[in-house]
Amino acid sequence: MNTSLRASHRPLRAAVVGSGAISKEHLTFLSGRSQAAGDVTGRIELAAVCDLSPVAADYGATEFGAGRAYTDITEMLKAEDLDVVHILTPPASHVTLATLCLEAGANVICEKPITSSAADLEQLLGVAQRCNRAIMESHNYRFNDGYLTVREALDAGRLGDLTEVEIRICLPVTDPDGRFGDPNLPSPIHRMPAGVLHDFTTHFAYLLLGLTGDVKFNRVAAAWSNHRGVAHFRYDDLDALLIGEGPTGPVHGRLRFDAGSAPDAFSLTARGSRGWMETDFFQPHLRTVIPRPGGAQLSPIVNHVANGLGLVRDGVTNFGRKLLQQTPYHGLHRMLDETYGALADGAPLPVSPGDMLAAARLVDQLLDDEVRL
Amino acid sequence: MRLYITGATGFVGRAVVAEALRRGHEVVAVVRPASARSIVDTAPTDAVLTEARVDLRSPDGLTESLRGADSVIHLAAAKSGDFYTQFAGTVVATENLLAAMAEAGVDQLVAISTFSVYDYLAMPTGSLLNEESPLDTDPALRDEYARTKLIQERLYRDFGAVPDHDVTILRPGMIYGPGNLWHALLGADLGPRFLRIGNKAVLPLTYVENCAEAIIDTAEALAARPEDLAGEIINIVDDDLPTQQAYAEQVAARIEIPPTVSIPWPAMNAATTILKKANGWFVGGRAKFPGIAVPDRLHARFKPLRYTNAKAKRLLGWTPRYGLGEALDRSVEAERSTETVPA
Repeated sequence: MNTSLRASHRPLRAAVVGSGAISKEHLTFLSGRSQAAGDVTGRIELAAVCDLSPVAADYGATEFGAGRAYTDITEMLKAEDLDVVHILTPPASHVTLATLCLEAGANVICEKPITSSAADLEQLLGVAQRCNRAIMESHNYRFNDGYLTVREALDAGRLGDLTEVEIRICLPVTDPDGRFGDPNLPSPIHRMPAGVLHDFTTHFAYLLLGLTGDVKFNRVAAAWSNHRGVAHFRYDDLDALLIGEGPTGPVHGRLRFDAGSAPDAFSLTARGSRGWMETDFFQPHLRTVIPRPGGAQLSPIVNHVANGLGLVRDGVTNFGRKLLQQTPYHGLHRMLDETYGALADGAPLPVSPGDMLAAARLVDQLLDDEVRL
Repeated sequence: MRLYITGATGFVGRAVVAEALRRGHEVVAVVRPASARSIVDTAPTDAVLTEARVDLRSPDGLTESLRGADSVIHLAAAKSGDFYTQFAGTVVATENLLAAMAEAGVDQLVAISTFSVYDYLAMPTGSLLNEESPLDTDPALRDEYARTKLIQERLYRDFGAVPDHDVTILRPGMIYGPGNLWHALLGADLGPRFLRIGNKAVLPLTYVENCAEAIIDTAEALAARPEDLAGEIINIVDDDLPTQQAYAEQVAARIEIPPTVSIPWPAMNAATTILKKANGWFVGGRAKFPGIAVPDRLHARFKPLRYTNAKAKRLLGWTPRYGLGEALDRSVEAERSTETVPA
């Protein structure tokens, strides 16, 4: 989509479809931007909230100052002249709802996983192209501070040549009192090819690909397990190894989803020929082990001291973040900010169709029968 | 009557089902699909009791399960989880239930609300809390339970506004009984100890069996005298309400209570009021503190107020059967008998 919406001299009109937990983040962003002072062309107008449940739609609209609440997306698209629709519904509904929005002339921001396969995504991207509108999947953690710092260190060569990326998520998804473990009304995500883990594989894929760039992973092995044997789960555990050839040599990727280890974690470690960096999205911190002033003899000590002080600083910062209710979703807000800026200017969106396809293909690859352990 | 009872396996639900059966009513007990607990197994053999295995968060099967019911007693609500979890379990569940009732032609509803919906900050210390007391109209700082129950009450009122729909809203105070004797109106967990907040406040208690009788009384009265009951809101508390101290002493005489530290209500109130002001001054109110450090939540649990059950007695002819001592004895006995059941 190349047309600049800024030229229309009105705020971008946005709507949200789906009022689940993640809607709070999208609506907080939209509500904040709709109330922001300044030039009208930089603003967003939160026009509508849509949900199958009337009371959920009303709550979202009232709480976040949207113009209207709808229970029928077709009615909403007909009545509102929307520039952007945020689709936050269960994944199985994404293709249908996104197609309706694109065909009605709205651009789409969609929660992950946008589709259940790369083939479905290709079709959806075709619809967007035909309608001359943009569609973007949320790759929110790619906009978090920790990821950006690691990415910057790699780009600056501070870690040397990339050799390995390890991404690990620890979450007790089988907890029967939790969103995924609830056996009474199983989450629709269980119907995806990777079941509940499909909610996380997109994160794995875009983070790995974001750091490894042009590396083609031609040796892949993935162990999908249901260790706890919970009846409505396909899998509760993933242990995947990916090996590829990069411009400077072999690169390994390690992806791990673990429902049994505590505490909750979402960590990312990048290793290179000179050193390594580690961050965590849930408890943000940064450890950097690289050659330091003092040479080979003193570098280990300087690294310990620098990282020790860094952890104390991160601990204090995290206490402040907790107190001020700052969540791991700060990257989502940054992503949305950049997306609306790009839409207004007619510039490419921060998550490109190529990014989305590469992530979807990697997930397909991990689920391929041929690579399963 | 054929009573359709949601939340039937819960703390209050079990007592309500038992009371309904004791009075010879037919009961359709709503039990969640994956619940291992079967309510039929524990009922008397001559009871007319069936289970409806449905999850109220989904409309699937609800209308069918309601057909033939004379009245609904809606107890189910989510009491834990984040806002959206409680919204689904309390608000969306109620929305689905009411829509299914309309479809199935079930017009009578005994709607269980809570004391949590009142605006405690707006009430002067020592004032009388009754059905006319103001509701919290700006509950942003209240807990998820209060916020979702407030929305739920709006749904009740909307349903009741439809011609031929008869709704009575019951707002019980703190319901105590087996497994729930040492409760949130006494204080809060503080690491290995329990922080007792205040001693002198009167507790708005109702013993679970007394409350269950009031609920069944309401269902019967609503059926017999809809002109008197429909549209009414009734608070449920027992007679001779104890202070925090008197209650705690009576409980401590019967069961082991956690080691406690105490803080007087005025000190806690002053400290949290200052904290709230500082939050507003320095960070625009964005800082989030534990519940007991937020005046809006603190007042809802510990503010000294007075309570009445005059309306319940007048409209229902209800008298709480068990006084505090007997209620505690029955609770302890029930807890012991549960503990001795072999696994």
